[in-house]
Amino acid sequence: MTKLEAPARSPGQTRAERRRDGRPPNRMLGRGSGAHVGRSGLRAFLTAVPFITPSFFGVVMFLVVPVVVLFILSFENWNLLSPATLAGFNNYINIFRFDGAAHSVTVTLYYVLLNIPLQTALALGMAVMLNRKLPALGIYRVLFVAPYLSTPVAMAVIWYWVFDPRLGAVNAILSHVGITGPQWLASPTLAMPVVAAVNIWQYVGYNMLFFLAALQAIPKQLYEAAEIDGAGPFQQFFKISLPLINSTMLFVLVTDVIGSFQVFDTLYVLTQGGPGNATEVLNLRIYQVAFMDFRLGEAAALSVLLFAVILAFTIGQFLFFKNRTTYEYSA
Amino acid sequence: MSGATLSSREGAARLPKPRPAGFLATRAAKLTIFYLLLTAMAFVFLGPYILTLFAAFKPIGKIFSEPAWTPPSSLYLKNFTYDFESAGFYRFLANTALVTGALTIGQVVFSTLGAYAFARMNFPGRDTIFWIYLLTLMVPNAVTIIPLYAIMREAHLLNTYWAIFLPYVFGAPYTIFLMRQFFRNISQDVIDAARVDGCSEWRILARIVVPLSKPVIVTATLIAFVFGWNNFLWPLIVTNSNNLYVLTIGLAYFNTNMDAQWNYSLAGSVITLLPMALVFAIFQRHIIRSISITQIR
Repeated sequence: MTKLEAPARSPGQTRAERRRDGRPPNRMLGRGSGAHVGRSGLRAFLTAVPFITPSFFGVVMFLVVPVVVLFILSFENWNLLSPATLAGFNNYINIFRFDGAAHSVTVTLYYVLLNIPLQTALALGMAVMLNRKLPALGIYRVLFVAPYLSTPVAMAVIWYWVFDPRLGAVNAILSHVGITGPQWLASPTLAMPVVAAVNIWQYVGYNMLFFLAALQAIPKQLYEAAEIDGAGPFQQFFKISLPLINSTMLFVLVTDVIGSFQVFDTLYVLTQGGPGNATEVLNLRIYQVAFMDFRLGEAAALSVLLFAVILAFTIGQFLFFKNRTTYEYSA
Repeated sequence: MSGATLSSREGAARLPKPRPAGFLATRAAKLTIFYLLLTAMAFVFLGPYILTLFAAFKPIGKIFSEPAWTPPSSLYLKNFTYDFESAGFYRFLANTALVTGALTIGQVVFSTLGAYAFARMNFPGRDTIFWIYLLTLMVPNAVTIIPLYAIMREAHLLNTYWAIFLPYVFGAPYTIFLMRQFFRNISQDVIDAARVDGCSEWRILARIVVPLSKPVIVTATLIAFVFGWNNFLWPLIVTNSNNLYVLTIGLAYFNTNMDAQWNYSLAGSVITLLPMALVFAIFQRHIIRSISITQIR
C-alpha cells in the first residue's frame, strides 16, 4: 500500500550531474563549490530545520511521547489526587477482573461485526448503482455523501429523537402500518444495532465514493469483452469489478475497521453504554474508568488492549489481502 | 487477458446487438424502478435533516402533538433565541470557531512546511524522520487520549483553549503524507530554474509549490476543519467550564440535562450542523474530487 522509495530524482539534481558521479550533488553551496559532504550536509540540514521543526515537535510531543507515557501509565496506580505509584501488572489483571475488559472487547467486536460487512456491501452496491451514464446521478451522489461531514454528536442528538419510542418518527411510521414499535435504544438487544445503523448511515456514502472512483477506473473494454463471452451482470461484477478494486477494498476496510474500534461520540449521546452495559465498547469504558472512576492506570491498560486489538486486526487484513491475487491493468 | 484478444473482441463489440421486441418498454420500466429506488434512498439520507429543520421551528407543544413530518405552520424562532441567549450557544459557537480556526490554520501551514521539506529538500536524516511520521499513522487517536491528558495536566494547560487545539495544531502526519505525494509530482525543472535564479526555499514554496498545489491544500484545510469542528472526546476531557465548551460538548450536555426538551436540543443541532452544511455546499465538488487524492495506494 504505502510505498516508500527514494525520489527518482532528488531535488537540485539534473540528469547530467547524476550520470557523471552517480551521487546526488549538493546545490546548497552553489555549483562546483567542492565543499566537504559533511559540511554541506549540515548546511542542508540547517536549511530544512525551520520547515521540519513544527511538525516534528507535534509528532514527538503529541504522538510518540504519548505512546511511551501510555505504557508507563499502564503499570502505575494513579487517581489524579495523589502521586502515581507502581502497580506492576496489576492493572492488566484488574481490567479483566473488575472493569469488564472481556465484555467490552466482545461488545466492541460485535459492533464492528454489525457495522463493517453491511456498510461495505451497501457502499459497494451504491457505487455500482451510480457507476453508469444516466442523468441526475451526480445529485444522488452528493446527497449520499452529505452525512459524512455532519457532526456526529449533533446527528446522534437527532437520531435519539428519531428513535424515541413515543415521539420518534420511526415508531410513528411503524404505528401507521399497525406495528407497535419497540423501545429501540432502551432495549439491550436493539440498542447496538441502532447505533451501528446510525454509523452506517453516516459513513456509507463516503465509502461509496472510494468504490465509485475505483470502478470508474476499470477499462470499459473488459466489460465489453465479458459481455460478448456471455457473462451476465453478476458474473461481470464478481469476475471483473470485485477483483480489480482489491486495493480500494483493503483501504476502505482497514480505515473503517480502525475507526469502528474507536467509536465514541454516537454512543456517548445515544446510550452512554447502556442499557445496563449492553453497549459499553472499549473506548467508552476507557473514558468511564479514567474520568468517572479516576483510575487512570487501568484506563491506560485498557487503551493498550484497544491498541493491541486494532493492530491485530489491521495486520490480519493486510495478510488476508496479500494472499489474494492482485490483478494489474493498464488503461 | 492479452491485448491482442482484447482488440479483436473490441471490433465484435461494435456490431449492433439484436434487440428483443419490447426492449424500450422494459428499459423504461427498469429505469423507473432504478430512479424510484434511488429517490427512496435519498429520503433515508435527507429525512433526518428535514425532520430536524421542521422540529427546530416548532414550539415544544407541537413537537409532542404533531407527526414529525408536518412542516411548521409559522417560523417560530424562540428555540434558537433561547439556545443562543440562555443556553450559552453564542459562547459555544464562538469557542468552536476560535479553536477550529487556530487548529486549521496551524495544521495546514505546518503540514505544508513539513511536506515540502520531505518532498523537495535533501538533508541528512530526512527519510528516517519521515518513517517516524509514517509509523505514528498507526497510532489510533483513542489510544493517545489518556497520556495526552496526563501531558496537558503536567503542562498546567487543562481547561484552557490551548488544551483543545494544541495536540493537532503542529501538523498531522496523514496530511503531511498526502501533501508530500502531491508536491513530488510538481515538475522538477520549474524548481531547478528557480534555484538557479537564486530563489530561497521559502520563496520556491510560496511562489511555485503552493500556487500549483491548491487542490491538496483545500483538501488539507477541509480535513483539519471537519476534524476540529466535529471533535468531541478530546474537548470533553480537557474542558470543564461552560466558558470553554465547544458546540459538541455544549450540545451533548444540554441534551442530557434537558431530557425531552426536543425543541431546544434539535435547534442546537441545527446551530452545530449549519456551518458544516455551508462548507459542504461550497466545497461539495471538491470534496468528491479530493477522494482520488486522499486514497493511499
